[in-house]
Parts: sequence; C-alpha cells; structure tokens
Amino acid sequence: MPEIQPKNLRSRRRTSTTVGFGRLLLRNKLGMVGLGVIAFWTLGSILIGVLSPYGATETGAGPLLDAPSAAHLFGTDNFGRDLMTRVFEGGKLSLWTGLIAVAISLAIGVPLGGIAGYAGGWLGSVIMRVMDVLLAFPSLVLAMAVAAALGPGTSSAMIAVGIVGIPEFARITYGQTVSLKQREWVEAGRALGLPASTILIRHIVPNALAPIVVRSTLGMGYAILTAAALSFIGLGAQPPTAEWGVMISDGRGYIISGEWWLTFFPGLAIATSILGFNLLGDALRDVLDPRLRTTA
Amino acid sequence: MKVTAKVIASAVAAGLLLSGCSANANSNANSGTDAASGSTTLTAAYSEGGTTLNPTEANDVTSDTFVLAAYDQLVTYATQEVDGVKTANTAEIVPMIAESWEVSDDDTVYTFSLRDDVVFQSGNTLTSADVVGSFELIAASNSASFLYGMAGISEVTAIDESTVQVTLTAPNHLFLQILPMYSFSMIDTATVEANGGAEWLSTNTAGSGPFTVDSWDPSTEAVLTRYDEYWGDAPELETVNIKFITEASNRVQLLAKGEVQLALEIPAKDVASLEDTEGVVVDSRASNKILYFAMNNNIAPFDNELVRQAVSFAIPYDKLLTDVMQGQASAMTSSVASSTPGFTAEGNEATYDLDKAKELLAEAGYPDGFTFDFTLGSGFQDWSDDAVLIQAELAKVGVTMNITNMARAQFLEAIATKQVQSYISRWTSFVNDPGYHLGLLLTADGTSNYANYNNAEVDALWTEASTEPSQEKRNELYGQAQEIINEETPWAYLYEYNIVVGLQEGTEGYTSYPDGIVRYSQMSVN
Repeated sequence: MPEIQPKNLRSRRRTSTTVGFGRLLLRNKLGMVGLGVIAFWTLGSILIGVLSPYGATETGAGPLLDAPSAAHLFGTDNFGRDLMTRVFEGGKLSLWTGLIAVAISLAIGVPLGGIAGYAGGWLGSVIMRVMDVLLAFPSLVLAMAVAAALGPGTSSAMIAVGIVGIPEFARITYGQTVSLKQREWVEAGRALGLPASTILIRHIVPNALAPIVVRSTLGMGYAILTAAALSFIGLGAQPPTAEWGVMISDGRGYIISGEWWLTFFPGLAIATSILGFNLLGDALRDVLDPRLRTTA
Repeated sequence: MKVTAKVIASAVAAGLLLSGCSANANSNANSGTDAASGSTTLTAAYSEGGTTLNPTEANDVTSDTFVLAAYDQLVTYATQEVDGVKTANTAEIVPMIAESWEVSDDDTVYTFSLRDDVVFQSGNTLTSADVVGSFELIAASNSASFLYGMAGISEVTAIDESTVQVTLTAPNHLFLQILPMYSFSMIDTATVEANGGAEWLSTNTAGSGPFTVDSWDPSTEAVLTRYDEYWGDAPELETVNIKFITEASNRVQLLAKGEVQLALEIPAKDVASLEDTEGVVVDSRASNKILYFAMNNNIAPFDNELVRQAVSFAIPYDKLLTDVMQGQASAMTSSVASSTPGFTAEGNEATYDLDKAKELLAEAGYPDGFTFDFTLGSGFQDWSDDAVLIQAELAKVGVTMNITNMARAQFLEAIATKQVQSYISRWTSFVNDPGYHLGLLLTADGTSNYANYNNAEVDALWTEASTEPSQEKRNELYGQAQEIINEETPWAYLYEYNIVVGLQEGTEGYTSYPDGIVRYSQMSVN
C-alpha cells in the first residue's frame, strides 16, 4: 500500500459547486449593476488620458467656473480646469488607494487573525486585545492620526486607511479560524503531524476566504470614502493632484455662489463608486454564504 | 441587510456632499440672544478667535481688537475724513492718556504730562508709576520688546505723579509712531501684581479703555461691554458680540442675511455679490497689506540670486490680480507697500516673462529646472489659488513645485524656524514706515525675516536711517535699500491687498487704520 504523504493532502474547493459560482453571481442583478458601476469608473479612469482633450491639471483649459456644457461636460473649476477629466483622474487615485489600503489590511489582518485564532491561549488574547484597542478609536480619527504622523500625501492616506482596516479583517479571520479548527480535517492534519503553518495556510484560510472576500469589496468602498475624507481635511492628496475629497473641499466655498458642479460631480463619483462596491459585496455574500452552509 | 447597507452608503455619500451646505454650528450658537435690531448692540463676524488678551504679546487682528477695546495708550493716531469715508491719519499723533508732551532739543528726551482723570476699570487711578510699570512689562515681553528696541527707548522714569520722561538712545522718528500701537497700552500694574504677574494678563484685562471684555471663548465668540465710567468720550455701542466663524462663506452668508452688522476677511470672489445685496455695504480700500512669495536664501537653489529672479519672472502677476483677487488687490512692485512714504520700485524688473525665466535658469546652471518644496498655510483661499497658478507656470519652465498643506497654527510655527524652503505670507506694517517694515522683515536681525535674507549694505542703510532726523534723507536711504532688495529678489512680489470689510447699511463710524483693526468706540448702529 503506498504511503500517503501528509504533504500531498490538501483541502480543495468542491469542484461541483465551483462551476456554478460564476453563473450564480451573474444572475444576481444588483451585483451586476454594482460590477458595472465599478467597471465604468475603472475603465473611465484608465482611458481618460486618451479620451479627454484636456489635462487634469491644465489651468485655463476653459473659461473659469463654467457651468456644464458641450465642451466641458462637468464644467470647469476656478482655474479653468476641466472637471470631468479631473473627476476621472481622481477615480484612478481613489481606486488605487482603495486597492492598496485593502491589500495592506489583508496582508496584515488575515495572518494576525489566523494566528490568533489557531494558537489561542495568551498569544491569541494579546493579538485580539490589540485589535480591540484599534477598533475602539473612531476609524476616521485613527486614520487622521496616522496620516498626520506620516505627513500629508497620497501614500500616507493609503497607509492610514490600510492600518485602520486591519482589525476588521483580523476579527473575521479569527472567528473563522476558531470555528474551522474544530473540524475533523484539521484534527486529522494535526494527528498526521502537519506543522501549524501548513494547516493554517493550506487548510484553514482557503475555507475562511468567503467572508474575507465579501469584506474586501465592502472595504474598498469604505477605503475610498475615508481617503476622500482625509483629503477633504488636507491630509491626503496635495494640490494640484485631482482627488475626489480635495475637489469637494475646494468646491465648498462655491456652493453658495452657485457653482454647484464643483462639489456635485466628485460627490456623485464617491457615492456611486461606494454604492457599486457595496452592491457587489452584497451579491458576493449571497453567492458565497449558502455554499458554506452546504459544505460538510 | 442588503437594503440597509445601500441606504447607509447612499446616506453617507449624500451627507458628505451636503456637509458643505450646512451652517457652521458656531453661527447658530447664540443667534437667539442677539438683538440685531437694537441700536446699541453690534454683532461682528471674525475669522479667528484670538490668542491672548495680553497687550504686550498680542499680535493677530482679533487679539489686538480686544486690547484696543479694553486699553488706552499714551497717544493715538488722528482721524480724518477723505471722500466721505473716515481714515486714520497716522502722520498726526494726538493726545490720549498723555494730554501733552515736550521734546528736548536733541530729540532724545520726551516728557509726557498725564491726564489726572484716567481711571482703570478696576477703580485704580492711573499714575506715572503705571506708565513706568507698563514699559517694564513691554521691555520684558516676547513680542513687544522688539518694538521697544525699534523705538529706541533707553529709559522710562517718573518725574512726578503725572509726569513721565522717556529717554531714547538716539533721535528716533518711529518712537511717536509706535506709541499708539496696541503693544504700548497702559496697564494697571497694581492689579497685575496683585494677581501674580504678566501671566494673568493673557486671559484677563487690566486697562482703562472704553470696553470691558465680558467673556471670551476663542472657539465661539467674545462679548465686549461698554465701560460706563470711561474717562473719555463714551462709545455709542453698549454691547459688541464678536463671533468667530472660520468658514468665509458662512461669514458672507451671515452678513447678507443681516445677522451680523460687520464681517472681516471677505473673500474677493464674494465682493461683487455682496455689493449687489440690498442692505450691505462693502468697504474696500487699498492698504499696505502685502502678499509675498518667500524663497529661503539659506536653502539651495534659492541661495542663488539668479534662481530667485527666474522664479520672479515666472509668476502670472495679472492672473493673480484678476482671476484670484478679482480686482480686490493691486500690483506690488517693491518689498515696501506703495502707500508707505519712502516707497520706490527702483531695481524691480520682474514681470511675467517665461522666456526670461528660462534664460535666467540656464544662466544659473539649471537649464532643465529643479524641484523644490513649498509650504502652504491653510485658511486663505487666495493663497492656495495663487500657489496652484504659480505651480502651473513654473512647471512650464521645468521647475517642479511640491505643495504641502499645513494648518495655520503649524504653518506659523514652521516658518518661524526659518527652515522652510518657500512659502507665501502676508504682512501689514502697523506703523506705515519703511524703517518699521524693513526692520522686521528684511534686516538680518529682523524677527520676521524667516527667509533669511542677509545683506550687510541693506542693514547698514537701515541702521543709518533709523537715527536720521530728516525724513527726506531717510527716504533716500530706504530707497537705496529697496533698490538692492528689488535686485536681489529674496521675495517675489504678489500683490497688495485691499482691506475689505462688509457692513450692514446703518453701521456707521468704521474708520480704516493701517493695522486693519476695528475701533468699536467709534462705531454706532442705526
């Protein structure tokens, strides 16, 4: 009888259900709307350099404070810069910020949560209490503190938002790990002598992914909002970088004098992109959750 | 869950969008208690809450306003009416606490005869001992001590109960001009001593002035109340509510709606719409308030004169005046304001000429440009607009300007370290004299010379002029100094502000002073 090498044992997603996953997601109408909105902003921000005759920081591209017109679909700002180009350029920055911030949160939060959940005992307690301390701060205040300490700039905003998101991912992973480590296959792996890291990486985390994926999409939306808030108060993007939060902040003084488009379009951009991520996240959760319930 | 998440997301986004529209909490704080229709109450909207009530340390407009309301000085500026509006005539000094004075033949000894009816708000009568004590507090302070030195004061002695003698180190034409300043207020020294010393003055007043500071919360508002036993002309106003409203658009709205009778720091872009608003009068007058682009002479590449000159040729001066300031400013052509006697634009060749800028950069050894850091203090829309425009123009000649935003308080601290590579700042010389102006800003020892400009010849000219009794000769010396400064370009000159004050129709008595501070004792509301 061939000896079964422990390292050849590996948890796998059940193939019969993997095929249906994509189809199920496509059938979720609201999720598709969300995906469409995200695709719109992503493609728009990538292609804007090609599609727009104006530069994002090109002063005097049009008359100052011009209302939306055929030449400038979103109008111009107080320097004559085309607002539409700026909004899509800002989209690039916002999406990028969201991605990096969520990546940071994942890269640090998931391992921490997994280790805490698997190890348990004092190590687990210490890690989760530190996460609790971070969670105790209102997230925007924590982001402001980190960004202020790092100095104003887009990278500071990305790091700040990333750090703020760590406790949530740690918590989710912790919860999942604690429940999954009771499963028979984990016990079996331990009995076979697999090291803890192997069990964690190869067996537990792949099965804990579903809520983490959902949280990531929601986290993108939240990261965009927080980054915009940081830029609104001056801690994020610096002039003349186009960024949604900065544009709203700059346009604030013009609401009363009637130049509504300066705040409306960046605001609309933030609202729709967050909505898109939320709808997608909801759809993913609907698709992924029932599967977990049916797994053995 | 699904629906709630979407509702929350939309609400959050909408809230972010609309947050700019909401009125500042401060603006509604006490509106219920305002008697805007009362003829003895005036409500004003200021942009900053002030930092101290101590006359010897106060430096910003709001703090200075409190000091001038609660304290008197030995002498003060005369006022005049020009074209139907009142202005200060700073060339003429008139009595206040001192009813008369005599100057010795060599112009170094001033003997002041004090009034005998000046009573402090505490009830103590003002005597020469208070005058001597006040000068001691000034000499020992952090802020006013520099002016003490600039005025050339050597000794202050009490000859008798109502006579004080001030001896100067040498004849000094700035002395009488500096005495009316808020820094040289006469303080009730007995009360200060009884309360432990000068520290107490930062949050309390010990003056003899026409108003008492009833309450002061730098984050919301301050209330001034008429002091009924004032020795001089009683003010018409009984109560002055000064509200601190940091958002410029909120101040404009409150004025337009009639909820305040006076508003300071009106943005240039709102002047036109306010002038069209019924019941609102905008008082906009040229002043000696300047805005300059400073380049730190100690930090490369700004230690190279050619580089600084190159930058001065890349600035879109006309755009700043028309697009940013919308006519509420005028051209600045020297380090000294054009309304200052002794002003000259000699030596200043800077205009908007990108080719010349490129030429100078090449000559300086930077044909491909360079990168530098610019620190932008927050709170002034025109500063940030100027910065963006200048950044765009410099980019056209290959110079990259990295803008870093900084909150105002940190900004003021940062530039005081003298290590900021470049920044924009404004300045008003409260004493409209090149000696005062250059002394503080562009001499090697000037306490506001944050750009580290250092030219021995300029220093020598300034020192010579400071003891020169003839105004003509002085102005010649100051002219030579300005010519050198204009050539060496430690700053690029952006513009000279108009001082813009918004008033409700019926608010009378506003007199414009070079320091831009409102004297409420002169005002009334109909």
